[in-house]
Amino acid sequence: MLWLWIALGVVAILLVLVVVGYNRLVRLRNEVATGWANIEVQLERRGDLIPNLVETVKGYAAHERGVFEEVTRARAALQQAGGPAEAGEANDLLGAALGRLFAVAEAYPELRASENFLRLQDELTDTEDKISAARRYYNSTVQHYNTGIQSLPWVLVARLLGFHEREFFSAEGDTATPQVSFTPAA
Amino acid sequence: MTLQQQIRRNRLRSSIVVVGFIVLLGVVAGLIGAVLDLRLGVVALIGSGLYAIYAIISSRRIVARMTGAQEIGPEQLRPLRRLVENVSIAAGLPVTPDVRIVDDPAPNAFAAGIRPQTSYVGVTTGLLRVMPKRELEAVLAHEISHVRNRDTYLMTMATIFAGVIALIADLGFRMLLYGGGRSRRGGALVIVLAVIGLLLAPYAALLLKLSLSRRREFLADAGSAELLNDPEAMALALRRLQQDTTTVAYADASVAHLWVESPTSRVESERRGVLALSSLFDTHPPIEQRITALEESGGFRLPERLPLDEPFAVELGLH
Repeated sequence: MLWLWIALGVVAILLVLVVVGYNRLVRLRNEVATGWANIEVQLERRGDLIPNLVETVKGYAAHERGVFEEVTRARAALQQAGGPAEAGEANDLLGAALGRLFAVAEAYPELRASENFLRLQDELTDTEDKISAARRYYNSTVQHYNTGIQSLPWVLVARLLGFHEREFFSAEGDTATPQVSFTPAA
Repeated sequence: MTLQQQIRRNRLRSSIVVVGFIVLLGVVAGLIGAVLDLRLGVVALIGSGLYAIYAIISSRRIVARMTGAQEIGPEQLRPLRRLVENVSIAAGLPVTPDVRIVDDPAPNAFAAGIRPQTSYVGVTTGLLRVMPKRELEAVLAHEISHVRNRDTYLMTMATIFAGVIALIADLGFRMLLYGGGRSRRGGALVIVLAVIGLLLAPYAALLLKLSLSRRREFLADAGSAELLNDPEAMALALRRLQQDTTTVAYADASVAHLWVESPTSRVESERRGVLALSSLFDTHPPIEQRITALEESGGFRLPERLPLDEPFAVELGLH
């Protein structure tokens, strides 16, 4: 009789542990989803600013076609990116393309004095900062989630229960944040 | 410990604090009821409960008044607002807390509010004039960590209850002393116990509150380092705060725990010579200890001299 009670107690404790552990994984997964949504908001804002920027620069430097095409291509690649890792790479490429666009803009004093251009440049710098902030948050949620489903005992059943590892945003993971500076050197 | 665990632990701790204070409140009311009048005890209990609810509801406004923090318009100080936005995003907060300005030459900052949705970060104009961007961002990240970890919630609760207990205990004590013989009940021993209890209760509440507050500072420093991926920035900011000798004019002792650096620390350290116990009553751990903790976890040594970058006020156009 006593053994039966002990067995029941052990089963009850195990059940509680399973429920708590499962709920924790669900919560971690939801945090990853929130983190990714935060990044998408900023990526979208950045994408929305670019056509405007390209048009503005075109108004002053119509013949610099190569740069415009590069930026437009990079933007399209970012919008079609399949997952966080791909989007991270596309985002870095877009940053580089924009860097070249601003380098080109350097040569046009009228453009640099244009209020519209300055505003767009400022907004893009801000968006870039926000993307890197959102990236830090997202990558930390991914790290916690991945660690959660890779540790015992969950590693044995995580896949069966539909918990799959998530990718980091950007190839380097959560190391130093690459800062793309849009501010023209004084 | 993950962030979410920390947040839940803080919520749990907040509940424990609330329960602890309610028990303490019950003891105080019970003492009043036992030696003075039962009805008086009940009135004290209900009155303090109502007052606590009122204080929780209006805590945002009260803190703003006690710190002298002014709201700023949405277009004012854009770059500052952006820094707060960025650290809030990095912290994964659902909304960006408001920014308020305290017109005071002493560099300091604080966070207030019960929920992230209603929280705000206050910075002194002195902070903007002293801190370069990197260090200012670290200080803001420290405050946002307080919001994220629900420290502001925990500390608001603790402050309100400590205040309520001090008030009632004081009231009961005075009535016992000056109320005259007719209002006293019970034997001499009961009265002596009640006097001791009423005298000690406010200190028990204060100690409970302060022990919470000091631990939260280390956590928020670590949070800042994590949010910005830059532990050195927070350490540099602390060193700069340490070297500054001005203290906040609005430094009301009742909100001292809110600030990034203790606003009254000069007075505190002068007193420490006399009263060795006083570190128990400090709201903040010594800055040196906080810097060392950051150095150890970040694996760096602070340089002898602070960088001479231009303060953020220049970018903001403040003079």
